[in-house]
Amino acid sequence: MGEFDLLSSLPAIAPEIGLTILIFVAVLLDSFLHESQRKGIAYVAALGMAALAIVPIIPGWAPEPGPTGDYLFWGGMIRHDALAQIFRIMVLASGALTCLMAVDAKRVGNKGEFYTIVLVATLGASLLSASADLIMVFVALETLSIALYCLAAFKRNDSKSTESGMKYFLFGAFSSAIMLYGFSLLYGFTGQTNLYALAQFMGTEAFANNAVPVLAAMVMVIVGFGFKISAVPFHFWTPDVYEGAPTPVTAFLSVASKAASFAVMMRFFIAVFPNDLVIGDYVIQNFWVQFMAAAAVISMTLGNVIALSQKNIKRLLAYSSIAQAGYVLMGVAALQATTPLGAERAVASVGFYLFMYTFSNLLAFAVIILFSEATGSETIADLAGLNRRSPWLALTLTIALLSLAGVPPAAGFFGKFYLFTAAVEADLVWLAMIGVLNAIVGLYYYLVVIKVMYVDRSEDEDKPIPTSQTYRWVLGVATLAVIILGTVGAQVIFEWAVQGAGTLFALLPGVF
Amino acid sequence: MDVCSINNIARCLVNSGFDPALAQFITILLGVVVVASFPLVVVIFLIWVERKFAARIQDRIGPNRVGPYGLLQTVADAIKLIAKEDITPAGADRLVYNAAPIMAVMSVLLIWAVIPFSPIHVGVDLEIGALYFVAVASIATLAIMLAGWSSNNKYALLGAFRVVAQLVSYEVPLVFALLVPILFASSMSMQDIVHAQSGMWFFFMAPVAGLIFFISSQAETGRAPFDLLEAESEIVAGFNIEYSGMKFGLFFAGEFMHVLTNGVLMAVLFFGGWLGPLVEQAPIILGPLYLFAKSTFWYLLSLLIRNTVPRVRIDQLMDFNWKFLVPLSIVNFVVIAVLLRLCEALGIAPAAANANDFVANIPQTLVLLLGNAAIAAYVLNRLRRAGREQRLAEAGRTLAAVGEKAAVAH
Amino acid sequence: MVELNAHTVVFAIFSIITLGGAVGVVWNRNLVSSSYWLIFSLFGVAGLFVLLSAPFLAAVQVLVYIGAVGILITFSVMLTRGMTQIKDVFNRQSAASGVVAVLLFVVLLVGVVLPVWGPSGALSSAPASDVVATTAELGVALVDGSQYVLPFELVSLLLTAALLGAIVIARDQDK
Repeated sequence: MGEFDLLSSLPAIAPEIGLTILIFVAVLLDSFLHESQRKGIAYVAALGMAALAIVPIIPGWAPEPGPTGDYLFWGGMIRHDALAQIFRIMVLASGALTCLMAVDAKRVGNKGEFYTIVLVATLGASLLSASADLIMVFVALETLSIALYCLAAFKRNDSKSTESGMKYFLFGAFSSAIMLYGFSLLYGFTGQTNLYALAQFMGTEAFANNAVPVLAAMVMVIVGFGFKISAVPFHFWTPDVYEGAPTPVTAFLSVASKAASFAVMMRFFIAVFPNDLVIGDYVIQNFWVQFMAAAAVISMTLGNVIALSQKNIKRLLAYSSIAQAGYVLMGVAALQATTPLGAERAVASVGFYLFMYTFSNLLAFAVIILFSEATGSETIADLAGLNRRSPWLALTLTIALLSLAGVPPAAGFFGKFYLFTAAVEADLVWLAMIGVLNAIVGLYYYLVVIKVMYVDRSEDEDKPIPTSQTYRWVLGVATLAVIILGTVGAQVIFEWAVQGAGTLFALLPGVF
Repeated sequence: MDVCSINNIARCLVNSGFDPALAQFITILLGVVVVASFPLVVVIFLIWVERKFAARIQDRIGPNRVGPYGLLQTVADAIKLIAKEDITPAGADRLVYNAAPIMAVMSVLLIWAVIPFSPIHVGVDLEIGALYFVAVASIATLAIMLAGWSSNNKYALLGAFRVVAQLVSYEVPLVFALLVPILFASSMSMQDIVHAQSGMWFFFMAPVAGLIFFISSQAETGRAPFDLLEAESEIVAGFNIEYSGMKFGLFFAGEFMHVLTNGVLMAVLFFGGWLGPLVEQAPIILGPLYLFAKSTFWYLLSLLIRNTVPRVRIDQLMDFNWKFLVPLSIVNFVVIAVLLRLCEALGIAPAAANANDFVANIPQTLVLLLGNAAIAAYVLNRLRRAGREQRLAEAGRTLAAVGEKAAVAH
Repeated sequence: MVELNAHTVVFAIFSIITLGGAVGVVWNRNLVSSSYWLIFSLFGVAGLFVLLSAPFLAAVQVLVYIGAVGILITFSVMLTRGMTQIKDVFNRQSAASGVVAVLLFVVLLVGVVLPVWGPSGALSSAPASDVVATTAELGVALVDGSQYVLPFELVSLLLTAALLGAIVIARDQDK
């Protein structure tokens, strides 16, 4: 272990320290500010998180191997590498935008507790993306999840919100329990909790005949992660929770929670079941890659097909997010690539996709919040005539939906492009084909929404949707991000992600 | 061959031909029986003490018929309770109904396992003695709740609800106050805590913590002014309304033992337990003597409070805990921890070699006492202000009401 | 084969308490009784901790799970009257879930437990760890920068958030 060096360990949790300070500030402000001023907490939290999101980009703050010679810090609890930084930026950005989006939401925006819990959830997600130890993974995951259960049920007197919180909690608790069982088996096999130490122990002679126990543990872990990323068949909660939860919470939960879970999932499988782990005659990697590929196919197809028949825009986005999880899983499956560069590009494609998905989805939800706060409706049919009511809103929602569908010049195009490329490079051509077919199905229902906004007429066409200054900023920033990621920024960010992915594999004994 | 005594039963048995394992088993069994029956026997006497005490306060004579000074009154009562018919109400959950009184007594008796009577006599000197005490005491809550539920009676259930609210709440300041002696002794073992007080009793280093502990444990027993769980005027007899005969007796005995146990714990945690002059020379006689002399003081104080302070309302009870005791105990704990570290850093703390020396402990004690005085002064000042505001507000309300009445009369 | 000594007997007793309590939880008609069985089961776990020379965990198990969690569960069950009078113990999926449970048990036993920890399993020859961590070591591990301080501190934030969330959800907001 060696002597603990506090100063060299602190940068590894810099965003978390900042978030902790913000949490204290938010709690204090909540108790000292008058009720009408509590919206101010949103700006404090959002600006704070935005500032923290910039920290990892500052040159000279790039993660460096710590005193132990690798990227592991705090006794191996977290791995402070460039990939973790990228996901932290996503999580912090979505936390900041969520806070701003919540400002005008009724019965949510004027409560300081809301922002405090969002901050804690962000903290959990941020640590989750860097976790490198079974204990840390679990605690961070629970920090994220329990905060989200509270947020989902935040509108206490709204029966849909309480139902959503309850469902999310029950499913979440159940899948956490299964995952914990898997963790305990892994710990039982090896006596180790550090992800990077597990593989070495499972590769030993004693385990030569025991592929089945390892696979059982793996399946249980997949259940836990599958729930968090809402991949089929662990997706049951998604539509109800998305529909019932306060919309800013839905936005946060659809991006931050998903991004952090994908980050830790990739880290987990690369570290615990690397491609050189052979037990008996079985290459363990083949198993999980097949799981991921299968889950990708089912999630994409089921999500897209059911989304076709949705009437409620939040449910539509819920099924769309199941489908999107399927696309991303394709990138995870592409980790079977046999060359280091291929695997790095697979990780990077996942990173890039989630990066653009964060902004696209937040943008879509921001418009929906505005619309439903103004009209009280969330059905797709009521979006009719949005172009005549508020042309800018209609345009931003269009951009968001096109990005989700994967149409240039929005960012989604490059996101899908990189994912499909990664899949092809990893000899998963059939998977890429299914992905393309699904993208076409997806395009249809996104276009239907756009058609309703631009072509259909409604009686309320003379009533514009009021948009506050805060929201204009949110929409502006998110739209800009989506456009930049879809045009000039795509290559830059992807290259950055590839570099980051390199550190995920760097200094690992024997992966490549 | 040495003389057989209570200190070397095991060795005596082995010498007289017993199997060592069996000898050890017999010793442990004997120890358990002695430690567990001691409070049960003492409680018979204590009930008499309490009745006499209450009688004197209320200007009565108290029990004086059975035996000299009425000393045998409790024995007579116990015989009566045993002889009474054992009634289980219709619809009661039989198993739970019968288990609850046993658990109530058990939770108190289990505490005695870790109480050190003398330097060498202690049931088990657990590494985690203090935590064990908290854990075991929490079973009492469960027992009372089970009793309330299984009786199939509304009043009993109401009593049970109050128990959960009260006992669980008051565990928080209790534990925070308990942390202070643990902090001083750097150990959770009861015996270590007593040893660590050989230089200075902890009460002089942390009187605030001691008082918080005393008040919260008074609440944990559920006695006046905290006797809401059996408030006669509101919910008849609370959780034990349906219990009769010896089952009721067990609850009753459990409560009395709990008060005694609190006194003993106060003595052990804050007043040096069995420590006293010459105790090392005659541990078996002087140890328990000192311990119970100290406990008696707290026991009698508890009786005095019970008989002089009126019952609080449920909202006052909860406010007092969550808005007063809990913050106070947390602040107190933090202040003491900081001061202790400060003393260490400044070299005021006694060196390890003379930690048991009274004089060496004085500077550190003075610093801690100063900290405690500051907390107490601040708290008392705040209380005075709050009290005055409340009085003024009430006076204002009354004046307004009088004015209204006068206006109506006109 | 398993040696028959005091340790194994006590282990068997506590296992029976733990598992029997768990069976009682799912088998019971009355939710209040279920919660009693749950407390019973958790008590068995505390006993198992004692056997594993982890007295601190045992005491915490009693304090937290029996003294706090168990009591609060019972309390909340008592407050929800309707839940205490359930007539049907088993819903229509009982047969299916029974089969799944048994299958899962067999799979885990045959697939995981026996090959790894069984008499001739992978880890059967591994010597039992003779490291007995003291409570003091546990305490140090929780605040040591090169051990578990990060998850430990994170848990405190998690609990703060859970507390806040619980208050928000439980409190009547429209006042």
